[in-house]
Amino acid sequence: MKSSLIAAVIAASSIATFAGIVAAKDEAAKDALPPGSVSHAEGLEAWKRIEAVVTHPRCANCHVDAKAIPIWTPAGETKPRVHGMNIHGGESRIGAEAIRCSTCHMTSTQANDPAPEPPRAGIDWQLAPVDFIWFGKSGAEICAQLKDPKRNGGRDAVGLLNHLRHDASLSGFIPRGWEPGAGRTTPPGTFEDHVKDMALWGAAGQPCPN
Amino acid sequence: MIELTVNGIKHQVDVIPEMPLLWVLRDELGITSPKYGCGVAQCGACTVQIDGAAVRSCQAHIGDLAGKSVVTIEGLENGAQHPVLQAWIEHQVPQCGYCQTGQIMQAISLLELHPKPTDQDINEVMSGNLCRCGTYPRIRTAIHAAAAKMAEK
Repeated sequence: MKSSLIAAVIAASSIATFAGIVAAKDEAAKDALPPGSVSHAEGLEAWKRIEAVVTHPRCANCHVDAKAIPIWTPAGETKPRVHGMNIHGGESRIGAEAIRCSTCHMTSTQANDPAPEPPRAGIDWQLAPVDFIWFGKSGAEICAQLKDPKRNGGRDAVGLLNHLRHDASLSGFIPRGWEPGAGRTTPPGTFEDHVKDMALWGAAGQPCPN
Repeated sequence: MIELTVNGIKHQVDVIPEMPLLWVLRDELGITSPKYGCGVAQCGACTVQIDGAAVRSCQAHIGDLAGKSVVTIEGLENGAQHPVLQAWIEHQVPQCGYCQTGQIMQAISLLELHPKPTDQDINEVMSGNLCRCGTYPRIRTAIHAAAAKMAEK
């Protein structure tokens, strides 16, 4: 009973991820810059801006380790704390083993409400895969992870752009990082700035800081 | 006009899509078991089931629920004979009672997932349902009792 229920929840959550992939690939192809057309130095500059985004609490707080405890940075605060209510994402990363993330974080394309109402997204709320740990990691560590297909979902530089556009096509977590609801801070720049920086970084050969 | 099923009955509601399900249930359909506690998904008093999963109805916008099936405590199979309700009565769980319908709906989801829950399972699933009267020990006892009743069947 338990395992079948958990499997059903995970399956239902996965269906949406296949939608819109083709359209996202077309768009990402337009975003991509020719490999080698951007200098190493420009690529590193782009990485600095990417790093400021991916280390922002809005982006890093759900990129946590296998303990699957999401992090909160409540509106008006800067210090991270563990998610209230004894929440564990579990092995499923969507809370299927205990209480689903979507008990409170609705799957919806409607706009986010002001803090402290929980943000929503067009994809079932979930933690990022364990390999994609960002919370508590340095910029150099995140950079190494992001460019490593073994730890980034098997994506090359264009594949990462596909990922951004696909997520956006579903009103997913990435563009919503910049639209989290009134009262919440946002990562620097805009989603489109982030796509451009990822294209620059990719075309420069994905350089990482030492 | 948005159509949804509540407790097995189809309803059409003419409200803005941003209206939370909790408002629709209470103000439009007259189903008052889900309670307004905090309005921001931090207390659990408004918990109902949507397509079989516990959800905070203050957060579910009606515009996202077309075609969905909602169950509140009024629509439980077996009504007052439901083993969770029976356990709640036997162990006299409520004090003021305000949070208890949400507690029960969350407990039912817990027991569907963990038919023999440990204390840790209960802690993990029920921690988002607050009770200002502090009935937590009785909630825990009633959940174990309900699990035993359900195992007998």
